Amino acid sequence: MRVTESSTNRATLANLQLDASRLADLQEQMSSGRQITKPSDNPTGTVTALQLRSQLSQAKQFQANSNDALGWLTTVDSAYGSITSQLEQVRTLVVQGMNTGTGNPASNSALAQQVDQARASLLSLANASYQGRPVFGGTTAGSVAFDTSGSYVGDSGTVTRTVGANASVDLNTPATATFGANGSNLFDLLSGIANDLRTNPANLGSDLTQLDARQLAITSDRSLAGAKYQRIQTVQSAASTNSLQLTSQLSDLQDIDLAETVVQVTSANTAYQAALATTAKVGQISLMDFLR
Amino acid sequence: MSGSFSGLTDALSALNSARYGLDVTGQNISNANTPGYVRQRAELAETGPAGGVPSMYATPNSGNTATVSGTSRLNDPVVDMRARSEHGRNGYLQTSASTLSAVEGLYDEPSSNGLAEKLNTFWQSWAAVANNPGDSAARNVVLQNAAGLAGDLNETALSLSRLTQGTGQQLTDTTDQINTAATQLAQLNNAIAVNAASGSNNNSLLDQRDTLLMNLSDLAGAQASIQANGTATVTLGGQSLVSSTTASTVSIGAGNVVLVGGTPAATAGGKLQSLVDSLNTTLPNYSAQLDAVAAALASTTNSAQNAGYDLAGNPGGPLFSGTTAATISVAVTDPTKLAASGTPGGNLDGSVALSMSGYGNLAGGADRTYQTMIGQLATDVARAGQQATVQQSVTTSVDNLAQSSAGVSLDEETTNLLTYQRAYQASSRVLTTVDETLDTLISHTGRVGL
Repeated sequence: MRVTESSTNRATLANLQLDASRLADLQEQMSSGRQITKPSDNPTGTVTALQLRSQLSQAKQFQANSNDALGWLTTVDSAYGSITSQLEQVRTLVVQGMNTGTGNPASNSALAQQVDQARASLLSLANASYQGRPVFGGTTAGSVAFDTSGSYVGDSGTVTRTVGANASVDLNTPATATFGANGSNLFDLLSGIANDLRTNPANLGSDLTQLDARQLAITSDRSLAGAKYQRIQTVQSAASTNSLQLTSQLSDLQDIDLAETVVQVTSANTAYQAALATTAKVGQISLMDFLR
Repeated sequence: MSGSFSGLTDALSALNSARYGLDVTGQNISNANTPGYVRQRAELAETGPAGGVPSMYATPNSGNTATVSGTSRLNDPVVDMRARSEHGRNGYLQTSASTLSAVEGLYDEPSSNGLAEKLNTFWQSWAAVANNPGDSAARNVVLQNAAGLAGDLNETALSLSRLTQGTGQQLTDTTDQINTAATQLAQLNNAIAVNAASGSNNNSLLDQRDTLLMNLSDLAGAQASIQANGTATVTLGGQSLVSSTTASTVSIGAGNVVLVGGTPAATAGGKLQSLVDSLNTTLPNYSAQLDAVAAALASTTNSAQNAGYDLAGNPGGPLFSGTTAATISVAVTDPTKLAASGTPGGNLDGSVALSMSGYGNLAGGADRTYQTMIGQLATDVARAGQQATVQQSVTTSVDNLAQSSAGVSLDEETTNLLTYQRAYQASSRVLTTVDETLDTLISHTGRVGL
């Protein structure tokens, strides 16, 4: 093949441009820190990266949901704790009233006053709220679960948190099951006890039985809440591991291996410089140099 | 026997030939970098014995001197033809690759600014509403994110339609360029035919002709054939574009059909065909896919909203209006009108919001549709880029092949310069010698002993 100046120049120029564009690509990767700077850099990688990002965003949301659920359950647990200890006191008062019997109405009346106070305190505990929502009120839009007369004004809706891909947890049990239905709920029972202490101590025995039943329902719901708390914690820790794995997969996919890229840039740079130097040297040679 | 003075005329003819050789070499050197210039060579030939002279009178060596027989143009027509066809293909692939990468440039993926991330954020903001349906801040965030999404889709659709407009403008420009080149070629054909008939040197016209043909290949993938007298006949997609001195007009008909002289042309190549394909297939396809993303977003969101109840307990309404990327917008302005609850009555149930927070993974949802689109776009751009790169290197190698026969080598021309210089010097010496010989004969004959 005949070689002419212009064909050499064209080939040289094309190769120099190739070298320069390779170097520019690598420099773009270096400066952005990303292997995939546009979808066509790696079509399958791009789609995978989009899916990973979506999963990662969901995993973060699951963690936020878990934290919210744990906060809710903590409120429930501490409310139940206080309710249980209050009920213990009421139980002691009832037993005292039963022992006193009809012998000392003044003493029983004092006990009844204490029961009334315990009822008021329990009412406020049963209206415990998390982020402005009464935790025993179901999905009510109102600010309390029980009104001042002690009747339930919440609804039977469930409060659900999705804490994992297939893990959604109902945070509440219907308050009417734990506290009793309106008309025969905990607060009606307490009013009854105060009344019986004052007027009909003989009825206190059956009141005690009902109180024990109510206490049992509350304790069992508390342990259910505790079990949910534990389950969410387990799921959350798994979700956090998963989230870390997703982040690392995403990074593997889209971030550069710095050491590798530095080496590539250096070698591309060397190749480019060599090409430039050779072009500068060879381009000068001509027959003119050797003729007088 | 030859005549006494034939040596002088022979030497003169040789001097003329050498000088012509120097002229052509000089022309080659001065045009070494002229685009489209094909190197030329002075063709020298021996003059034969004069015709019609009876052999008994003819002298064995009479008249055998060098004369100029012509000037050849040293291109390789076969390689030129191949170069034109590769250029037509190259024009097509380069333009397609650049259109596709312009489409790709509209999507900043994968990144934290792309539409995919905006979708993620949108669905996530529903989870915040699900956790606390009464929180107006969380509801406001949903509305803001929805507006951001709709705005992004509108913007991208607008950019796509601008790209389509720009491509249409490019198509018009390309058609104009083709018509100009075709008209010039028809005029050139006329000049070439006249010159060829009169036997003049038309090498520079042929250079211009080849440049125009290459141009037409790049622009339209036009097929050229060279006639015996040097004129070029060009067809485009089976229709005659330039024939002898007539040029047809290329125009674009309805539905972006290429018309040559009013008749629809078959698929050709070059930039023209690529632009037509982009306008008819590529751009509408990506526009439709973006619309599908917008439609999926609107339909999944709206049907969930329609089935739910807002904060006041009223049935929810559509969140997005419009079903194309260009027209989608947020229909809800009051954050309390977002339906988060699955039951009526104005409660704080978050079941609708909760299920919407998981729509990022919905089969047939906006996210999946978008991912499919980006995947296809990425594959298309990568493939077009690879094809364009390969074709560019094929084209370059054919161009180099054409250059290897048509290009000027300065080393070679310098050598020719020396050759013709020496030939001129030697012919001058012959002239001097013959002159001196004749001088001896004329001035010194019969003067022996004087």
